[in-house]
Amino acid sequence: MNPWDFIIANPVLNVLIALSHFLFGQFGLAIIALTIIVRLITWPLNNRQLKSTKALQDMQPKIQELQKKYGKNQQKLQQEMMKLYKEAGVNPLGCLWPMLIQFPIWIALYQAIMRALATTPENLLDLSHRLYSWDIVNQVIPLSSKFLWLDLGQPDPYWILAIIVGGTTWIQQKMSQAPAVDPRQESTNRIMTLMMPLMFGFLTLMFPSGLAIYWAVSNIIGIITQYFATGSWGYLKFRSPFPSKPAKGKQTSITEQR
Amino acid sequence: MKQPKILFLVVIALLPLILVSCSGTAQPKGGWSGPAVHDGIIYVGTRDGRVVAINSSTGGQNWSYPIDPPAAIYTTPIVDGELVYVGTYSGRVYALAIARGIERWVYPRTGSIGAIVGSPVIANDTIYISNSDGMVYALDTTYGDLKWKSEPLAVKLWTSPTVMGDTLYVSTFDGHIYALSMETGELLDWSFKSQAGFASSPVIYGDTIFVGSFDRCLYAIKIGSDVPVWKFPQEKPAGNWFWAPPVVNEGIVYAGCLDGKLYAIEAKTGEKLWEFDTGKPIVSSPVLIGNLLIVANEAGNVYIINSETGDGERIKNPDNADKPTINTQIRTPLCAREGLVYIRGEDNQLYVVDIEKREVSQPIPLTEEE
Repeated sequence: MNPWDFIIANPVLNVLIALSHFLFGQFGLAIIALTIIVRLITWPLNNRQLKSTKALQDMQPKIQELQKKYGKNQQKLQQEMMKLYKEAGVNPLGCLWPMLIQFPIWIALYQAIMRALATTPENLLDLSHRLYSWDIVNQVIPLSSKFLWLDLGQPDPYWILAIIVGGTTWIQQKMSQAPAVDPRQESTNRIMTLMMPLMFGFLTLMFPSGLAIYWAVSNIIGIITQYFATGSWGYLKFRSPFPSKPAKGKQTSITEQR
Repeated sequence: MKQPKILFLVVIALLPLILVSCSGTAQPKGGWSGPAVHDGIIYVGTRDGRVVAINSSTGGQNWSYPIDPPAAIYTTPIVDGELVYVGTYSGRVYALAIARGIERWVYPRTGSIGAIVGSPVIANDTIYISNSDGMVYALDTTYGDLKWKSEPLAVKLWTSPTVMGDTLYVSTFDGHIYALSMETGELLDWSFKSQAGFASSPVIYGDTIFVGSFDRCLYAIKIGSDVPVWKFPQEKPAGNWFWAPPVVNEGIVYAGCLDGKLYAIEAKTGEKLWEFDTGKPIVSSPVLIGNLLIVANEAGNVYIINSETGDGERIKNPDNADKPTINTQIRTPLCAREGLVYIRGEDNQLYVVDIEKREVSQPIPLTEEE
């Protein structure tokens, strides 16, 4: 057995199936429960990220001052910005690590959903090699893929999940934004703010709805925790600091992890 | 600040997910159709979605019928009279003339029913098919007309039905065994419910059903009873599922398990007589030739085992004795005829094992002939 299966994929698979046993055989509920567990495990990382985001947003007046002072000297502006971040103990790039850490979980979850649902005879036979000898695991096999209106092994045909995932991604993006330092960056940020929700909405149309449930629930938990951790809706209410183009706003996307 | 650029990298990192989704894990890969031998002709579904008839003497293909549109074939062809029948994963049943492979009928004539995984059975001029839509279909063998279809018995049926007298028995993944009238398809009074789902098709011997379960046990269930006669192993479950239907002969149940062992069990008591460890999962049911059991494991090894003592030997690979008997996986049902065992490998070739000589013939390719 390869290390990936042994350390990540098979444990996720067996935990998901075991959760189904305790949740009335409902695989969809098991995915939601696993999402909550994942968010709990990654809470220390999330918490640090939320604090960084809040600190970046609180630094907004100082950043505007730097903009006015060094607006014509980009190199100096960058240096002063980094100095400011250092003094405040904030690493803007560090916010991305929690998101990167989630990638293996997504892949493991995707594999676990496809394997657990055993949509083909080959999948079912393959599943036999991956299950632990726990009674609670073997007694719920094979699982039903039906949950609410969804077939968890297939994309949502009604696009409801795509809209939820896209919408919650957009809200979370807006809540997590921090100041930009120049107009060029602002333009890029605007594209990113639009692209991420669209991309995840599009992925929801391609991937099994079980994985989309994970994204949606994770986003909702992220929005709630961010609201209570920072005490505000962040840049959902933010106005641009750049007087030249006030309507468009200048923001840096510090993407909150799902 | 380089965050947007890094975010772009993150987006690019998502691509593996997309690749995983497009890797076809949700698509079947060729099926597990086993061979059937009738009057010196071998009928088998190929991994590229054709039904072929092979002359067992020459190894040449008499005819080849491509399923259109191409589909995996999990069912073993079944010959009855002048026709050979096969069900496909695309949800259609085909009846082909054994002489030339010409299509006599197809059900349904347009569209499809759910994927067919369990092999059909034939009795009283009727072919019975369990289906992934959870229903059993009964078709007239001559014209392919629908005689009846049952009410939904489960979310999906991937096991084969079993005939006993005028009753059809079906095992389901949710742990039921249902008895249906072969005449009308109506559910009869008796059914059995187990805590765990049933992995294998039921096998009937006397008045008892033997069936493998996902809880890693084999069950003996007396028809009409609500409680099993026994389950095997009685204490601790086996190392994996009893996936293949067992073989029962002269009061002994021979059950292959995905834990790699073949178990001989007293049919009346559930007591273990012996076990033989092949080391790798046994996906296919064993076959009996006289008092010899022939069993193949997934790794490609074929064993000959004395059914009375449990002593066995591995048939050697003709090219390299250290390698598995055949150089490919074995997942299809075996077929025994006149001292020979026919095996379709996962490499889309047909292997013939001579039991007396302990030899494997040169493989017969099942690819389309020019």
